[in-house]
Amino acid sequence: MKSFKIITLCTLYFILCLINVFAQKPASIQEKSVLLTNATIHVGNGKVLSNAYVGFKNGVITSVGEGSAPAGFDEVINLEGKHIYPGFIAPNTTLGLREIDAVRATLDYAEVGNYNPNVRTQIAYNTDSKISPTLRFNGVLLAQITPRGGVISGTSSVMELEGWNWEDATLKADDGIHMNWPRMYRNTGWWAEPGHSEKNNEQEKAVQEIKSFFKEAKAYSELKTVKEKNLKFDAMKGLFDGTKQLYVSANTAKEILEVIHFKKEFDIAHVVIVGGTDAWLVTDALKENKIAVILNRVHSLPERTDDPIDLPFQLPYLLQKAGVLFCLNHDGDMEVMGTRNLPFNAGTAVTYGLSKEEALASITLNAAKILGIDTMVGSIEVGKHATLFVSTGDALDMKSNNLEYAFIRGKKLDLDNHQKQLYEKYKEKYGIK
Amino acid sequence: MNKCLITATLILIIGVKVFAQETFPVNGVKDSRKEIYYAFTNANIFIDYQTLVKNATLIIRDGKVEQAGAKVQIPKGAVVYDLKGKYIYPSFIDLYSDYGMPEVKAAQWSPNPQYERKSTGAVSWNQAIKADVKASGLFLPNDQKADELRKIGFGTVLTHQHDGIARGTGAFVTLGKGLENELVLEGEAAAFYSFNKGSSTQSFPSSLMGSIALLRQTYIDADWYKTNKGKIKEYNLSLDEWNRIQKFPQIFEANDKLNILRADKIAEEFKVQYIIKGGGDEYQRIAEIKATGAPLIVPITYPDVYDVEDPFDAQMVDLSQMKHWEMAPSNLYFLAKNQVPFAITAYGLNDKNAFLNNLKKAYERGISSAEILKALTYTPAQLIKQENKIGALKPGMIANFFISNDSLFADKFTIHENWIQGKQYIVQPAVTFDIRGDYDVNIGTGNVYVLKVSGEENALKASVQLLNDTTFKKDATISRKENLISIAFPVKEMNDSGIVRLSGNISYTSSIWDGKGQLSNGTWINWSAIKKSNYKTDSKKDSLSKKDTLIGQILYPFMAYGNTEIPKAEKILIKNATVWTLEEQGIIKSDVLINNGKIAAIGTFNAKDTIGAKVIDATGKHLTPGIIDEHSHIAISRGVNEGTQSNSAEVRISDVINSEDINIYRQLSGGVTAAQLLHGSANAIGGQSALIKLRWGLAPEQMKIQNTDGFIKFALGENVKQSNWGDRETIRFPQTRMGVEQVYYDAFTRAKEYKNEMEEYAKLPAKIKATKPSPRRDLELEAIVEILEKKRFISCHSYVQSEINMLMHVGDSMGFTVNTFTHILEGYKVADKMKKHGAGGSTFSDWWAYKFEVNDAIPFNASLMNAMGIVTAINSDDAEMGRRLNQEAAKSLKYGGMSEEDALRMVTLNPAKLLHLDKFTGSIKVGKDADVVLWSDHPLSIYAKVEKTFVDGVCYFDREKDALQRILVEQERSRIIQKMIQAKKAGEKTIKPELRKRRFFHCDTIGEEGSEEENMH
Repeated sequence: MKSFKIITLCTLYFILCLINVFAQKPASIQEKSVLLTNATIHVGNGKVLSNAYVGFKNGVITSVGEGSAPAGFDEVINLEGKHIYPGFIAPNTTLGLREIDAVRATLDYAEVGNYNPNVRTQIAYNTDSKISPTLRFNGVLLAQITPRGGVISGTSSVMELEGWNWEDATLKADDGIHMNWPRMYRNTGWWAEPGHSEKNNEQEKAVQEIKSFFKEAKAYSELKTVKEKNLKFDAMKGLFDGTKQLYVSANTAKEILEVIHFKKEFDIAHVVIVGGTDAWLVTDALKENKIAVILNRVHSLPERTDDPIDLPFQLPYLLQKAGVLFCLNHDGDMEVMGTRNLPFNAGTAVTYGLSKEEALASITLNAAKILGIDTMVGSIEVGKHATLFVSTGDALDMKSNNLEYAFIRGKKLDLDNHQKQLYEKYKEKYGIK
Repeated sequence: MNKCLITATLILIIGVKVFAQETFPVNGVKDSRKEIYYAFTNANIFIDYQTLVKNATLIIRDGKVEQAGAKVQIPKGAVVYDLKGKYIYPSFIDLYSDYGMPEVKAAQWSPNPQYERKSTGAVSWNQAIKADVKASGLFLPNDQKADELRKIGFGTVLTHQHDGIARGTGAFVTLGKGLENELVLEGEAAAFYSFNKGSSTQSFPSSLMGSIALLRQTYIDADWYKTNKGKIKEYNLSLDEWNRIQKFPQIFEANDKLNILRADKIAEEFKVQYIIKGGGDEYQRIAEIKATGAPLIVPITYPDVYDVEDPFDAQMVDLSQMKHWEMAPSNLYFLAKNQVPFAITAYGLNDKNAFLNNLKKAYERGISSAEILKALTYTPAQLIKQENKIGALKPGMIANFFISNDSLFADKFTIHENWIQGKQYIVQPAVTFDIRGDYDVNIGTGNVYVLKVSGEENALKASVQLLNDTTFKKDATISRKENLISIAFPVKEMNDSGIVRLSGNISYTSSIWDGKGQLSNGTWINWSAIKKSNYKTDSKKDSLSKKDTLIGQILYPFMAYGNTEIPKAEKILIKNATVWTLEEQGIIKSDVLINNGKIAAIGTFNAKDTIGAKVIDATGKHLTPGIIDEHSHIAISRGVNEGTQSNSAEVRISDVINSEDINIYRQLSGGVTAAQLLHGSANAIGGQSALIKLRWGLAPEQMKIQNTDGFIKFALGENVKQSNWGDRETIRFPQTRMGVEQVYYDAFTRAKEYKNEMEEYAKLPAKIKATKPSPRRDLELEAIVEILEKKRFISCHSYVQSEINMLMHVGDSMGFTVNTFTHILEGYKVADKMKKHGAGGSTFSDWWAYKFEVNDAIPFNASLMNAMGIVTAINSDDAEMGRRLNQEAAKSLKYGGMSEEDALRMVTLNPAKLLHLDKFTGSIKVGKDADVVLWSDHPLSIYAKVEKTFVDGVCYFDREKDALQRILVEQERSRIIQKMIQAKKAGEKTIKPELRKRRFFHCDTIGEEGSEEENMH
């Protein structure tokens, strides 16, 4: 089923690319085959290949290995001493749905109402966001565009950070539904004068409401025929037949345990926890139920005063050690523009316990696995998309993250952006070399 | 219990008419009791808090004490109360009360700002200055409330209206019942102040520092008003009254330990002595509080037990909350031990019945009963200069005293009566004899029942059984009023179901009862009962709570990761480090010696200098100068913005430093040693900054960097013109960038005029001065004058080039230089102009896209400004990013290819320069302060961790020690959790844990606390 979908998508892609064959920007379809040689390849699955090569044709990796490279490529790039990484994947982001946080007209990520499973990000995704090129500049090449707000926020899609329009840019449409689990504690007061957090006495009621909605949605999904369609329940069907994932935002240990019970109660095949501040306290339950975690931003402050001062830095290691599948994300304050720092969040996870390749997996292959796109992307392996980049140094360290080339499905990207243009403009004004 | 109340009320009614005042006409005949003596004999009398006279007599007349002592003659015709074995104490005095005051309604939040006052009358410009309020004019006695206080021993209170920053005067009143005119002992006994604007609907002040600024300016205004009265046009009732009430004791509501220190600073500045009302947490900063010399009024409200049996729920409770739960009852002990003068208040206890219990808990923590008594009698009286009138039982003093069964902290201490102004108020009538025991009851039917009377003397319980058939056993009801008794119980005679009801008399000896009764069929009977044995008190049930011997230590600050002792400067030899001097020497492999808080030597030094030094092997490690954050909002209490005026130059962050913020420790773990704590960016001219070093554990004053230049926050753009504040906030000037310029021209023009006026006036001969009003000292303008005089320097929040350019033009034409443009995201567009003007730039590494004015913000900004020769820094404006500033600086390697040393300078030496601190910190140079950081790795690498952070040669962060601290935090938590579970089992009131989330301030956080959700920087 899944592979059929991929083939369909790929076919669609090729047709689209034929139409766009004469375009200059964004990058056109990969016409010439490319071989990158003499590089250190960080595969994404934990392995590192030294003095290695990767070749790709028609957007797909055809050969990867160490030592002498095969012949027959149109373009050969010698990368002596440089590094090749799979494109970084940013899950759970509102990229392309918001341009300037304070300007309402540019905000398209939160629809009105509490239950909006039918609302889809794919068609609102702005391929021409000025922010996307700044993320590519640091190696983020794929993103799961995610709605926010309400109880069920809507349906996300995984997009490539390149394309003429959202159809071009789609890697996987409607991959999952996003839900906010009712919080057990809530803040009081209003934003300028907030009070204490208090126990949310409405929490139980809110959970019951979610359960009723799911019961009805499930019953609807089992109907053979319907006279009057319900768009919301139609959108929910994929959760019950296993074709869509359910992403549930939950942070405290008890909230996470509730989500696990919920998964069992409704027999939902794919549930992913988003957030997971306390996930390290319930790793056994997560593992047992095969629930992965899209972990809160590593670069955050501890939730509680008494917490170890670097607990958020350590969480990736704690989950890795416990064997829970997880990936990193950057949602929260200034999330879109800050997503270019995703690799450095992974770098910090290295400082606090992960190996470099484990940290890399947390923004490449493991992210792909969690989003259900690992057959296409996430690592540099034969048969996968040539969605990868070349950095002159360690890409997880801001000190050395420096992209020379980037490819999305073999298309060579223009790494220029609005910010760099301004930089060049003023360098010239001041005569700075 | 209810019965007692009714009794008390009944007795009171008799007394009402007795109160009469000379000026009041009498309806009926004059009912004077002035001549009646009352004698209380055979009592143990506390003549004052420290003098107990046993078997003594107290004589009172006309509401006053006549005599008290052992050898006192009872006058003829006295009403005599024999109090054999009982105790008499002077009634307690509470200085912090709102008894009899009208309810204060907190101002309703309004979406519309209110810049002008809405009060009526010729009063202050600010609604929170209510110096003209007199409690004596508002006083309405409330007997129910009075009774609550009488029951716990109080006889008098100093009451005032708890509303506003200046609250006017309080009235010293008794808790008796009667006419206000008799109950008020002193119409104006003290003047009251606070940091809270209360019911004021006016926008200013919205922050704690705003409240402090308002107090400060009001002191100055009042003084000016006084000296110029008659020469100026303004009549101001509030200032008139403010001046008049200065003669009274000045009482300040602070409510927590840091606010006590803040209040005392104001007192010092204006040479007044405050009596400060605290919050019960004084023990946490006892040394500093003692040093203030201020007498305190402290509550004895203790936190409830948290329900912590569920370990996940328990996570929501901070260690500081847990420790305070454990230590709060020790507060009085610590105050007494440190000889801090204090009075105790019952204020804050929702259930006044908890008062005596809490007092006992304090007693069990080691404070003597005399010290407690003193704090409830002598000290409060003395603080308001009433010690000759009240608080003891000496001849001529007001007859306020209570009678109890035993001494104050005895096991079953009960107050029987509280006498106020010589009038009796029954609290819990003394039981004249104990009737409990076993009785044979004869109801005339042939059967004898054994009645067992037990329970408390004022809450009797009873059961019956047949004398010759012990299988017949029933509960009985019994009630007693003095010598009358009522009993009812089921009897065998009526098929086990009928109930016999008996009523009768108790003979004086209590051993024989008799009377009439009725069977269930209505037959009247005669009955009698004879006592067989007395009730045996259960001696093994000794509920004397065990003294809490295992109590944790005080932490500085009082929270997780606090230290039991303040760490000290050491002599340290750091060997073989890669040293980033950031001076001419560059990066060198070297040894560094730290001594007396300074960098003593680098590289070569005499071997004898290193004697006694602690050696740190830094092979493979990097030593850098401490990181300095040019733009921080951590460690600030109650509000980072006073954005209710476009110019709030008078407010000072240094007034509100919060030494108890965990983010200080977290920043230390990121190598931060110093920071500029800035006012927010809600207005064009914000407040004055505080420059601090991150001396974790020290009190606010000790964190400040001494003898430095002053700084002030300016701001431009969207925040200042309220672009993103919602549709209601559109009335404050300015709303455009055009208006922002005018705010500056106006401020500097007025400041210049002000300076001239002051100087001109100073030159006038004394004779002319006497006829001319003096110019009013204006703290807002003074701060601007300081800028012109180069005593105060600007950090200006800025984004787009037009406004940056504009402010430099204002500066050039008005005669000042903008010291630093902070944020300065379009600095790269006007770098040449900034260079020419002489401004520095402190920017974010890569923030943009959060509002319209940062659309052209680029991460290459720092590199471009630096290349143009501008002193460039990278700042945080964010508690999270503040601990990763090395990483933020490192981004300039990527964005613009800056050199490594220059990159590190942006978070060390350059901010030191921008803050005028570079003479003594910011680089590793002999003679500079030992503010240094030891890193595990290259300090610009994502893989670098701070191992040790030194401030003034003191190691305030050590990663190894931190690992130990984490264990200690868990151990201490667990220990207290065990105790809490025990307390819960013992029946103490519990509350559900709540997550006390720390809020973080950003530039445009408005109101008193920050939020994470809405910050626009």
